[in-house]
Amino acid sequence: MRMKDVETTGGGAEAPAPDAFGRPDPPVLTLILWPNRSLSRRGFAWVMGIVAAGLALPILPLLGTRAGLGLIPFSAAALLALYVAIRRNYADGRLTEELRLWPDLITVERREPGRATRRWHANPFWVKVRLSDAAKIEKYLTLEGNGREIELGAFLSPEEREALRHELDEALARLRVDGR
Amino acid sequence: MADAAAHAHADHAKPGFFTRWFMSTNHKDIGLLYLFTAAAVGLVSVGFTMYMRLELMEPGVQYMLKDGVPNGHLWNVLITGHGILMMFFVVIPALFGGFGNYFMPLMLGAPDMAFPRMNNLSYWLYFAGTALAVLSLFTPGGDGLTGAGVGWVLYPPLSTNEGGMSMDLAIFAVHLSGASSILGSINIITTFLNMRAPGMTLFKVPLFPWSVVVTAFMILLALPVLAGAITMLLTDRNFGTTFFAPDGGGDPILYQHILWFFGHPEVYIIVVPGFGIISHVISTFSRKPIFGYLPMVFAMIAIAALGFVVWAHHMYTVGMSVTQQSYFMLATMVIAVPTGIKIFSWIATMWGGSIEFRTPMLWAMGFLFLFTVGGVTGVVLSQAAIDRAYHDTYYVVAHFHYVMSLGAVFCIFAGIYYWIGKMSGRQYPEWAGKLHFWMMFIGANLTFFPQHFLGRQGMPRRYIDYPEQFAQWNFVSSMGAFLSGLSFLFFFGIIYYTLRHGQRVTEPAYWGPQPDQTLEWTLSNPPPEHTFVTLPTPDMWDHRGGHH
Repeated sequence: MRMKDVETTGGGAEAPAPDAFGRPDPPVLTLILWPNRSLSRRGFAWVMGIVAAGLALPILPLLGTRAGLGLIPFSAAALLALYVAIRRNYADGRLTEELRLWPDLITVERREPGRATRRWHANPFWVKVRLSDAAKIEKYLTLEGNGREIELGAFLSPEEREALRHELDEALARLRVDGR
Repeated sequence: MADAAAHAHADHAKPGFFTRWFMSTNHKDIGLLYLFTAAAVGLVSVGFTMYMRLELMEPGVQYMLKDGVPNGHLWNVLITGHGILMMFFVVIPALFGGFGNYFMPLMLGAPDMAFPRMNNLSYWLYFAGTALAVLSLFTPGGDGLTGAGVGWVLYPPLSTNEGGMSMDLAIFAVHLSGASSILGSINIITTFLNMRAPGMTLFKVPLFPWSVVVTAFMILLALPVLAGAITMLLTDRNFGTTFFAPDGGGDPILYQHILWFFGHPEVYIIVVPGFGIISHVISTFSRKPIFGYLPMVFAMIAIAALGFVVWAHHMYTVGMSVTQQSYFMLATMVIAVPTGIKIFSWIATMWGGSIEFRTPMLWAMGFLFLFTVGGVTGVVLSQAAIDRAYHDTYYVVAHFHYVMSLGAVFCIFAGIYYWIGKMSGRQYPEWAGKLHFWMMFIGANLTFFPQHFLGRQGMPRRYIDYPEQFAQWNFVSSMGAFLSGLSFLFFFGIIYYTLRHGQRVTEPAYWGPQPDQTLEWTLSNPPPEHTFVTLPTPDMWDHRGGHH
């Protein structure tokens, strides 16, 4: 990891607000990126409902019998395990990258489960947006500024990164031309 | 955020042999482990059948003797071992664990399974279960001999009275296999539901992942019931409970209901992943997209759902009311509808196609014919009245081997010949694959078709000996079994040759143009260690554009 606290070029010389990430005025652009998750919350509810009903089927006629008691723990454990697994999978995917852009500040915050939030900020005037074909990742999108180069949306598809690049380029160009 | 740097995504160091195979979290490696373990256990289990067919070749007991006296217990142990090993430790691990693990994430465009470490746990639970199952053959069992000889269904009171700890080890083996399957199915369900490639909606998923996830749901619903049932057996045996003992207020018939509530879905758990493989093979070698994709998906779902409401057709003779028997008859016959949809859709896929009779296609067509034969005898057996005569005869043995030994196992071989180039980067010799197919096809039919006759003549199953009048067809059946057994050994030879000296295949889609190419054909042979680090895009897998 390369990280420099010392400002290098003039780009970031103008110190940003004391807390760049708690800035109150609305940004001109906010983007939140998250990895692909193909199951909707509604679908999750359906799956749990169907499985619960299916597991209940053999137990219902045995309710109140000793054999029913023999089955319930195993069925309950299976249902619980499925619930925990899907929730855990959602949690593993609860990775977000939030990009906010003001005329004089760009911030990116990356939140990952089980890790401290990682932050980056720079002056948008000097930020370079790069899209390159890295060894492993097609159309690898990076932002360079404030002495550091960060990746953006590495979990997205190449097309999404390309679209993201266009959006960022346009927003930055607008800022540089007429400051909004 | 991660700082941008090529090294952040640089190749990991190549894992050593021990790390790669013993601590694997890679779905492809775990899939291979499942396939190889299942093959090894399969060899043992097929070995049992060879010994049994040798004994049945002629009337009288010639080989299974102990001090010159027929050793019926050994026979029972082999029957039980063959059933338990094949059901829990060979066919499901190969189709669901092996091909499911290897190819489902690839076809979905997922980088791996949702829980790679749990995947590793599933495999080793399966391995431990296998070890217990094999161990139970050699530990003290009933009749003062080793091994448990109660049949794979473990019916009480036989199973509760069987002496020795062999029976308990067998129960633990099934427990571990069940835990492994449940964890595996949760992994597969989560991967299927939550990690499909962007844009791949449910009804754009290829048929193989569909078949695997339908199987996973069946496992999730059925295996806890089995676990409960055999746990109660265990406490009946060891802790004085009387769940299934009438003298303590229990009910042995209840065990049969619970067991078959699991057991009938189980037979679909075995064969449904095969349906998925067959769909891809037939489509590939007919050069046509699969006919009726959506009905194919719904037929699998319907087969799975119906599989849970027909269990008591395995127990028409236990004294159910006529109304109950009528219900189970009707429900069972309804299954012929979705199964028919699948069979006819496969035929319609081939219809007018440019069919190439390569080895995988031969296995698929063999499956189609033989599964239909087994299905038809299934409809015969579904009749409660007729079942009075056929129950526990060789007709039933013939029926379920046609759907499993000739159905599911043909699917495994179709899958192996279809994908071995993809998995190993080397191709098998075509003539050898074809020879294997014809030996097995002829051998298995010779083995099991005469068993219909034996069953109709009234020969009961599960016996070491039989009267003279059954001699002729038993001899034919044994000859067929030896031919299939030989073909199985030949198959191991083919695999060895292919892995060591087979021709290298570099073309990713080595079967030529496919109308509905799935994602695994965009990868190298074998695929790199990490696949789809970058998610695939719809144009890589959606060849029809829009809806089907």
